[in-house]
Amino acid sequence: MPPHFSDSPEATACYRMLSLSQAGPSPETVMKSPRPGSLVEKGQINSRWLDSSLSLMTQDVQKDDELWLRFKYYTFFDLDPQYDTVRMTQLYEQARWALLLEETDCTEEETVLFAALQYHIEKLSLSTDPTDPSGDAPTLDDLDSALSSLEVKLEGGTAPTDMLENLTAIPELRETLRVFRPRKLTLKGFKPHWVVFKETSLSCYRSPEEALGEPVQQLNLKGCEVVPDVNLSGGKFCIKLLVPSREGMSEVHLRCEDEKQYARWMGACRLAARGRTMADSTYRAEVQNILTFLQQQRAGSTSGPTPSPSPAPDGAGPTWLFPPRYQKRFKPKQLTPRVLEAYQNVAQLSLTEAKMRFLKAWQALPDFGITYFVVRFKGSRRDEVLGIAPGRLLRIDLAVGDVVKTWRFSSMRQWNVNWDSRQVAIEFDEHINVAFAVVSAGCKVLHEFLGGYIFLSTRARPGPGPGPVPDEQLFHKLTGGHEAL
Amino acid sequence: MEQTSDEIDEMFSNLLGEMDMLTQSLEVETFQLSSPKESTKEFNFSVGFKDLNESLSTLEDKDLDALMADLVADINEAEQKTLQAQKTTSDHQQKKATESLMGFETIASYEYKTSTHGITTSGPVEDVLPPPPLESELDFPLLPPPPPPPAPEPLTQEQQEAQAKTDKIKLALEKLKEAKVKKLVVKVHMNDNSTKSLMVDERQVARDVLDNLFEKTHCDCKVDWCLYEVYPELQIERFFEDHENVVEVLSDWTRDSENKMLFLEKNEKYAVFKNPQNFYLANKGKNESKEMNEKNKEALLEESFCGASVIVPELEAALYLKEDGKKSWKRRYFLLRASGIYYVPKGKTKTSRDLACFIQFENVNIYYGTQYRVKYKAPTDHCFVLKHPQIQKESQYIKYLCCDDQWTLHQWVTGIRIAKYGKTLYDNYKRAVQRAGLAARWTSLGIVEPAVSTGSSSTGAAQANGQIHHASKEFSEAPKQAEIAKEKRPNVVNNSSSAQPVIRPQKPEAKQALQPPPPPQRRSSATVSSPCLPSKAKRGSTASLSDPISFPAPPPDMGSDLPPPPPDFYEPPPDFVPPPPPSFSNSTGDLAPPLPPPPPPPPASVTSKPLPLTRKPGPPAPKRQENTGQVGETKSTGVEGGQLDFMSDLRKALNKKRGDNTS
Repeated sequence: MPPHFSDSPEATACYRMLSLSQAGPSPETVMKSPRPGSLVEKGQINSRWLDSSLSLMTQDVQKDDELWLRFKYYTFFDLDPQYDTVRMTQLYEQARWALLLEETDCTEEETVLFAALQYHIEKLSLSTDPTDPSGDAPTLDDLDSALSSLEVKLEGGTAPTDMLENLTAIPELRETLRVFRPRKLTLKGFKPHWVVFKETSLSCYRSPEEALGEPVQQLNLKGCEVVPDVNLSGGKFCIKLLVPSREGMSEVHLRCEDEKQYARWMGACRLAARGRTMADSTYRAEVQNILTFLQQQRAGSTSGPTPSPSPAPDGAGPTWLFPPRYQKRFKPKQLTPRVLEAYQNVAQLSLTEAKMRFLKAWQALPDFGITYFVVRFKGSRRDEVLGIAPGRLLRIDLAVGDVVKTWRFSSMRQWNVNWDSRQVAIEFDEHINVAFAVVSAGCKVLHEFLGGYIFLSTRARPGPGPGPVPDEQLFHKLTGGHEAL
Repeated sequence: MEQTSDEIDEMFSNLLGEMDMLTQSLEVETFQLSSPKESTKEFNFSVGFKDLNESLSTLEDKDLDALMADLVADINEAEQKTLQAQKTTSDHQQKKATESLMGFETIASYEYKTSTHGITTSGPVEDVLPPPPLESELDFPLLPPPPPPPAPEPLTQEQQEAQAKTDKIKLALEKLKEAKVKKLVVKVHMNDNSTKSLMVDERQVARDVLDNLFEKTHCDCKVDWCLYEVYPELQIERFFEDHENVVEVLSDWTRDSENKMLFLEKNEKYAVFKNPQNFYLANKGKNESKEMNEKNKEALLEESFCGASVIVPELEAALYLKEDGKKSWKRRYFLLRASGIYYVPKGKTKTSRDLACFIQFENVNIYYGTQYRVKYKAPTDHCFVLKHPQIQKESQYIKYLCCDDQWTLHQWVTGIRIAKYGKTLYDNYKRAVQRAGLAARWTSLGIVEPAVSTGSSSTGAAQANGQIHHASKEFSEAPKQAEIAKEKRPNVVNNSSSAQPVIRPQKPEAKQALQPPPPPQRRSSATVSSPCLPSKAKRGSTASLSDPISFPAPPPDMGSDLPPPPPDFYEPPPDFVPPPPPSFSNSTGDLAPPLPPPPPPPPASVTSKPLPLTRKPGPPAPKRQENTGQVGETKSTGVEGGQLDFMSDLRKALNKKRGDNTS
C-alpha cells in the first residue's frame, strides 16, 4: 500500500475500495445504460470533459453533483502492479465498462475472452484483500509448504520438475466413457469404450479385459486442442479433442456421465495438452475450477435472479459478462460452453495477471484509445470525424468509419487555435497543413487532448520502476490554452 | 570420396569434442557447486524439487555411495564400449581412409548419456585441465566477466561432511538430469549447396544454432541470417524465429521426411524493424517504400513494441482462400487483428462485431507457399500457409491463402508474426543486432570471430524465451576458446575464410588420443574441436571448417549405387561391440550381412517408452541420400540404448565403407 493511503483509516478504506473491482453489473443495468451507437455519439461524449485548467466551481459544478472519474489519455506508462493496484483496478473498470457499453468494438472471439477474464477476476476479487501485502504473491497454503519451500531454498535444488514427475507415481484414469470418432460418412454415434489416461496419452479399448492388448486408438495429447462441449440442462458433458498428427488432425469426442467425471478427464486432457501429467501440482486446482464454474452456471440457470454473493448476480448464466449486442445475439446456453473454454485458458492466472491480461487485450483492439470529435475540415462541405489516439491523428469518414488519413504527433511542428472561430490549424513536417473547425465539442477539449498527448510524448523513455516526476508546469502550458498565457 | 571422409572425420571430432566437453563440465560441476551461477540455477529448479531432494537426503551415506557406484558401473560399461569402438573405428580409419563412407554421411542421431563420461576419468583430468571459467576470463572488454567464485570459507568437520553429502546428491541429480538431454545431429544446407552437420541439443534455440553456424562459417553475422525450414512435399517454407527451440521443431518431422534445414540470408526476417514505416504507416493499397529518419523509426518501434501491448499493423485486403478439398480459390476480404485473422462474411460490413474469425494463431505457424500456381492452381505465386507445426502431409487442417502481389504477402506474413510472437520478435532482433555489431567490431579489431561469440554466449544471460544457459552449454565453449588460444599463438591470425582457422592436431597426438584408455594429455588437447583422426590429418588441412565450398554436397546420384543396408545393422548387440571380422574387409561389395543377426535390443530401452519408434529400420539408402535434412530420433532412455544407437551408426558406416572398398 502506498504511504499516502495509510495515513488514516478513511484513507485505507478508500484504498481498499479503489483497488477492488466492483461486483458485476446486472444485464438490466447494462441494457439500460446509454450506449453510443455511432461515431457521432462517441464524439458527443467527449464534449463533456471538464476543463482541467479551471476549478470545478468555475465550471458550475454544484454540491451533490455526480461526476465521472476517467482516464483521459490512453497512454499508460509504467503500469506496475506492485505499486499501482489502484490505477490498475480503475483502468480495468474503465476498460470493462467501455467494452460492456460497446464504446470499444470487438469481435465475438475477443468478447468471449474478455468475458472469461471478467469472470475470473470477479471470482478472485471476492477472496482477495487488497491491503494484504502478500495478497497476490503465490499463496503458501500452510506452514508445511512454507517450510518445505524454505528447505528447498536452503538445500538448493537442481532438478527440473519433470524429473520429479518421473520418479513419483503418476496418477492414471481408467474409466468407461462413451467415445465417438468422427469420420467421413459415419453417423454420429458414441460407443462405450474402456479409456485409459496415462501420462499424456489416451488409449481406447473395447473392454477392460482388452486393456492388456493393443488399444483401438492411442493418442498423445501433447499440443492438442481441447474443446468443451457442455450442455448443462441437457446433461451433456463432452470433451472434443483435436490432436495434431503428421497426417492432419485426429478428432475424438469423449462423453462423460456427470460433472465430476467430466472435470477429472477435462483437467487431465488440458494438462496433457500443455505437456503435463496428472502428477502436476495444478491438476487438483484445474479440476476444482471446472467444477466450480459448472456449479455456478447450474445455480444461475435454476435459481432465478437472487442477490447472491457469487459473482453471477442473477439467473442469466454468463450473459452479464457480455455487451448487450451479444446478449441479444446468443442464448445463455450457447455462451456458457464458450466462456468455459476460454476460462480454462486463463483460470491459472493470478488476480493481477488476469487484470493485466484484460488490459493488454483491450489495448490490442484496433479501436483502442481513439477519442472522437466531429469536425469539419477546411474546404470540405460535410462533417467528418477526427480521431485522436496516442501518437497519431486520424481523419475518419463519418459514414463508413474508414480511416482516410493518418498524421503522427512525431511529425507535428505546431498547432494553433483560433478560440473565436473555433478553428484549429496544425502544421506537420514537409509543409503539410491541416485545418478544421470543431463541431461536436469545445475547442478547449480538443486542445487539451493535443497538448496532453504531446506532453506525454516528451516523457523520457519508460524504464524500470516509477518514472520521473512529470513537469506539471509544462502540462498546464501545453493544455491551458489562451488562459495559460 | 574425399569429402565424405571429411564428413566422418568431422562427425568423429564432434563426438570426441562432445565427450571432452562433458568430462569438463562434470569436472567443473563438482568444483563449482558453491558458485553463484550454480546457485541461481538451483533456485530456478527449486520448484517441485523438494521431494526428490528429501528422499535423497534421507539416504544414508552408504546408500548414496551405492547409488553412485551403480551409476558409475553403468558408465564404465558404456565407456568401455565407446573406447572399444573408438579403437576399432580408428583402426579402420587408418587402414581405409581413402574409402568412401556414403552410408555414414546420412545423419546419425542419438540420445546421449551426457553424464556417463567423466566420472571415471575425472581424476586425471583434474590435474591437467584448468577449470574452463578461467579460460573465459580472456579480456573481453565488452563482456561482463563471469561471476567470480565466492571465497571459500573454512568449514567445520560437521559442515564438511554435510557439504560432501550435498555435493553427492547434487552430482547424482545433475547426472540424472543430464542423462535426459536429447541431442540431434542436424544437417544444415548452406547457400552454396554444401552442408554442415552439427549437434543440436534440446535446450538450444535457433539463436544458439545460428551463433554456432556463424563460428563454423565465419560469415558476416548479419541480422538477416536465419535458419530456414523447407517442406518439399507441401512446398512450404519458413524461417525459424530466433527464440524457437530447434529440437522441438525438428521432432515434428517424420522419420523419412524430405524436409530440409537451410542456413541463408532473408531480408524479410527483420525488415519490419529496419523500416517499420513500411508496415505501420503504409497507405492502404500502396506499396511504395518510404524513407524515415532513424530517430522517428526508433520512436515508432518504441510505440509499437514497447507499450503495454504490442501494436499489430492494421492490415486488410481481399485475399484468395483455397477452399477445403477443392481446387478453387475464393476471394474474401480479410482483416488482421491481434486476436487472429478475420473475414467479412457475405453481406456484412467490416465492423468488428460482424467479423467472422478465420483463424487464431496459438496453434499454427506461418509458412510461405512456393509455386502454388502450378501445385494448386493459385491465382498468383504469392501464397502463405497456416498449419499446425506437427502436420506434415496434405490435410484439410492446412489453410492456404493467396495475395495479389509480393508486397502484400510480405506485409501479411510480417503482421501475422507480430501478432503471434509479439515483443519477443523485437527482442530477437535486438539480440541479433547486438550479435552482428559485436562481430563487426571484433573483426575490425582483428580478432578472430569465434572469440566474440564465445564471450557473448558464455555470459549466461537469460535468452529471449527466458531459457538460461546451462552450465554444460557454457563449458562447451571452452574448446572453442582453446581453439582461439591456439590460433593466436602461432601468430597466423587471419580473418579471411580461405585461411585455415583451425589448427589440426598433429598426427601422433591425435593417434594417441584415440587409444584407450584416454591419456590425460588427450583431455587438454581435446579442447580442440576439430577433427583429429590420424589418417585424415593431411587431407583434412585442405578442408578448413571455415570454407564451406570445400564441403560440396556429394552428387545426389552417388548414393543410389549403394544397396540399402540390411536393417539388422540398426540393431547392434546390447552388451558388446565385437571387433569387425577380418574377413569382412575382403568381402565382395554385395554387403551380405557379415554379422549374424544380432539379438534384439535390451527390452528396458524400448518398452519403457510410449512411442514405438525406437530403432526402426531406417529408410533405404537411396532415399536417405536425398533426405539430407532428415533428423532421426531415438527415444530410448537406457544408458545402453543411447550408446548403442551411436555405436550402431558408427558400425554401419564402417560396414558401408568396407563394402565400398571391395566393390
